[in-house]
Amino acid sequence: MKQFALIAALAALCGASVAAHHSAVQFDFTRSETMTGVVKKFRAINPHMQLVLHVKDAKGERDIVFEGHSTNNMYRAGYRDNMINVGDTITVYIAPLRDGSEGGYVTAAVTASGVRFGAQSRAEQARERERAEGR
Amino acid sequence: MHRVGAGFRFSAAMAIFMMVGAARLGAQHPDFTGVWTTYNEPGQALAGRGAGPALPLTEAAKQKVARYQALVAPTGDTPGGFCLGTGMPGSMLGSGGYPMEIQQRPEQIMIVYEAHSEIRRVYLGDRIVPDADRLPGRNGHSSGRWDGNTLVVETTHLVEQVDQRYPHSDKTRIVERYHLEKGKGGEDVLVADMTMTDPVFYTTPVTVVKKWARVPNGHLLPYECAEENWLKRLEELEAAAAKK
Repeated sequence: MKQFALIAALAALCGASVAAHHSAVQFDFTRSETMTGVVKKFRAINPHMQLVLHVKDAKGERDIVFEGHSTNNMYRAGYRDNMINVGDTITVYIAPLRDGSEGGYVTAAVTASGVRFGAQSRAEQARERERAEGR
Repeated sequence: MHRVGAGFRFSAAMAIFMMVGAARLGAQHPDFTGVWTTYNEPGQALAGRGAGPALPLTEAAKQKVARYQALVAPTGDTPGGFCLGTGMPGSMLGSGGYPMEIQQRPEQIMIVYEAHSEIRRVYLGDRIVPDADRLPGRNGHSSGRWDGNTLVVETTHLVEQVDQRYPHSDKTRIVERYHLEKGKGGEDVLVADMTMTDPVFYTTPVTVVKKWARVPNGHLLPYECAEENWLKRLEELEAAAAKK
């Protein structure tokens, strides 16, 4: 099951592999959820941050793939180099996927050392959505 | 010892004064050099820009735009999704909300938009390229002149673009008029009055005002849009190699 979740999430990401900076219509920016896990993969790149968290909760143990805002916008919202490393336990604020599957668009995060960066308000999320869509 | 006469000293002093004066006159234009970010009026909501007002599109343009929108609606695809810059006038209206940097010289002004690292070059005076030597593109070809303290930039040689907020044909002509103002907090605000004239796509000219706030000691960040795809490609190659 956990393999299926990971494969499905990766497929969702790779399905539009030609289009890295894709539309963000699959994310619901009117909602904000949090998820805590151990960082398995993290890339601070443009146009979308990439993150895989190993999550353990009531649903079980599995890897969940996220993407997030560009490094540039995360930088301006407080992110600095090496704030997130593999093995860290972090919490992410996400705009969840509209289809209900696991994963989402990271709008903010709390690092292992308790530093928070990113944007969370609805207005900021609206701006993020425009940025994500390249408008 | 040769002594310089008083008349010569006066003439030399006048010459230097006139040279300095001429240099000052040459530098009279406002300096837009620096990093700028979207300016929000005090109290203005930071929310998204929304759909905007209805555009005075011609019937032919409406059909073209509708065809494009129907094509991309199922997937939500955008030019940015394929790491393609916004193009004019989207770039000058603040592509993706990212900042821009202006480097100003008397003969050429460089504008770098952080998103997709789009670059516009505005040529002035002798640097202006003859019409016959211009190639069309998504940001067109821009030439500038000063009208007092206002920089007037004319952009032509654009390709047809139905894929942006202000779609246009290849016959469009965009005039931007840039001037400096002070914001309520005393900060520098760069105001761009944009007029787009396009007899193929629009029944009347379209006007938009865009304001930018100076970012003191600001820096643009690198934006390599294609890096994500390249890293994914390497992962695919590694996975394929591991299967062998």
